[in-house]
Amino acid sequence: MAEGNLTTLEVPSGKDLGVSSSQIHSHLELLAEMGQSFASTGDLNESLYKAVERITESVDAEGGALFLIDDTGAYLDCLACVGPTEITGLRLSHDQGIVGHSVQNNEGRIVRDVSKDPNFHQGVDEQTGHTTKSILCAPMSVKGERIGAIELINKRTNDGLFDSNDLNLLQVLASSAALAILNARMSAALVEQERVKRELELAAEIQRSLLPEDGDIDFPIKGVNLPARTVSGDFYDFYPLDDGRIAFTLGDVSGKGMNAALLMAKTASLLRCLGKSIKEPGRLLAIVNDEICETATRGMFVTLVHGVYDPACGYVRLANAGHEPPLILSTDGTFKAIDAEAPPLGIAPSILGEESFPETDFNLDDGKLFVFTDGVTEGYIAENVELGIDGLKDILTAPDAPAMAEVLSSIAEKIGGFGNALRDDVTIIGIDDELAAHTLRTPDLNSKPSATELLGEELMRLRVSAKANRLRLIRNAVRETSEFCGFSKTDVGDIVLAVDEACQNVIRHAYGGKGIGDISIELRQRSDAMIVMIRDFADPVDISKVKPRDLDDIRPGGLGTHLIQEVMDEVDFLPPPIDGGNLLRLVKKIKG
Amino acid sequence: MQHETSEKGGALVIAFSGDIDLQTSPDARKALLAEVGKGSPILADLSGVGYIDSSGVASLVECLQSAKKSGQKFALVSVSESALRVLQLARLDRVFTICDTIDDGIAAVS
Repeated sequence: MAEGNLTTLEVPSGKDLGVSSSQIHSHLELLAEMGQSFASTGDLNESLYKAVERITESVDAEGGALFLIDDTGAYLDCLACVGPTEITGLRLSHDQGIVGHSVQNNEGRIVRDVSKDPNFHQGVDEQTGHTTKSILCAPMSVKGERIGAIELINKRTNDGLFDSNDLNLLQVLASSAALAILNARMSAALVEQERVKRELELAAEIQRSLLPEDGDIDFPIKGVNLPARTVSGDFYDFYPLDDGRIAFTLGDVSGKGMNAALLMAKTASLLRCLGKSIKEPGRLLAIVNDEICETATRGMFVTLVHGVYDPACGYVRLANAGHEPPLILSTDGTFKAIDAEAPPLGIAPSILGEESFPETDFNLDDGKLFVFTDGVTEGYIAENVELGIDGLKDILTAPDAPAMAEVLSSIAEKIGGFGNALRDDVTIIGIDDELAAHTLRTPDLNSKPSATELLGEELMRLRVSAKANRLRLIRNAVRETSEFCGFSKTDVGDIVLAVDEACQNVIRHAYGGKGIGDISIELRQRSDAMIVMIRDFADPVDISKVKPRDLDDIRPGGLGTHLIQEVMDEVDFLPPPIDGGNLLRLVKKIKG
Repeated sequence: MQHETSEKGGALVIAFSGDIDLQTSPDARKALLAEVGKGSPILADLSGVGYIDSSGVASLVECLQSAKKSGQKFALVSVSESALRVLQLARLDRVFTICDTIDDGIAAVS
């Protein structure tokens, strides 16, 4: 529907029509009625039928039919019909019959005696047994746009023959019907447009729900996303891991619009779900890449950065799959870019012939890390002026820079506030290690080891309900793993005892025996030791109250903590995970 | 965990087998305390105990104290290697009377 405005048409005067003023009055009434019928109806076919019925009656014909040109323009379809012959559904070639001739030449026709007209299509009469004597046909068109035609058969009076007055009247009525049909189609298109718009908005809402919620003001990672259209091909995410570290992701799906948005939703969901158990960014990207290659639409790909940040010490480990290089901003104001060492996801499965995408690791040392899409650097901040990488750096190093959240929203405002529609989605996340250093690394905790220092090979992980009847399961898992690590029989028994006692403390003290919540146990092997991480999701416990009891005090209870300390080489409560809970680390050295 | 109580040589012998942990120690405790107040000496046979934790040890300590109060003698017999290890770690191996066999135990509490 090219024309947005409703069209009006000129109605010939009564003199042109050769009719009396009372006839004109009733014809005008008919026009008004028809217009209203089309405007108010939800059923176009019903209105078409009513129009044919009234027009047939008005011209005093035996029967009438309304033909519309189909979407391809190749056929004329009869959509409504009154009178002795039912031909609704009849399909004619666009140039067939008197109707086709009338539409082709955009002119009305009277055929006083059809038997003498070469254009007359005999087929219908032969099928129905009805005799057509005279035909009146007027094309329906609005401003040159052909819609179809109305055809009337046999005048009731005058020996069944139509005259030129009848043709004039039919032409006016047909024009009016054409306009009404066009308007009705246009409003149906508007309704459809509105429906599509609503669906897009729903999709956008679901997309927004995939972005992480703004954490506390103290949470060290912030992000913003400004979609160029209703839905976005960009995404970012961050979520805490069991060991207190935080996983972060930022990605850009090729293309924009709904297909990009759907691939974005899929990639973001895969990463969030798998990222909680696969903590090595390179290995995670390799797995997600294979999955996307298997199922994504050909030619679509995702550039992406995924990493893990330890707020307890500032250590970051990330993998960059073909994405814009993230920027490290050191405390001395210098920048370092981390280039991509792998192609985007979705290009080729296991392209590197390895199980992992290459990783980069570094310590932020109280600095900041920014990951962003090219929508940021290529965003216009004035007519044909991109923000550029230098423009971005200027904002990030501005003196008296406000908190991370404000810095990010000021970047988004600078690009989004320029007035023109965004060229591309604008997405950026920032990690503020200085903030983490202030809020999380109190002097007391600073001396504590962080999750990062215990990286080694993960041998086993289990997460079970914090219930007494799960302890046997935990003991068996720990026994098998300790034996695998090569510990002596006594050591194996000791490790099993220590982990069992630590889990009991979680069940009895952290969760208060209510059994609501989980315990997560991670068993890792380093060359020199076996490490057990025990995590709960209860309120933080007061570490100072967790003391081994005085052994001279012989009474039931309170023995567990003593036993743990007796058999393990290191027992430490790590800084509490950012999303709550407690994290205990046990280390048993492997005697060489 | 299972337990079975019998009489032998004038002593009440409670034989435990399986794991005594947070899940099962309440049952072990009940079984032990049920014999307190009956006058006869009590022997806890730990030969079949594959695992005992602090809550299990605590039940043994509680029984020892209650038995003492009611004038009964209490001893551990045939303590499995792993159970002995936990008692040693808890420094309780010197608090309990620990005997190698039931007969040794009967002799010790008679």
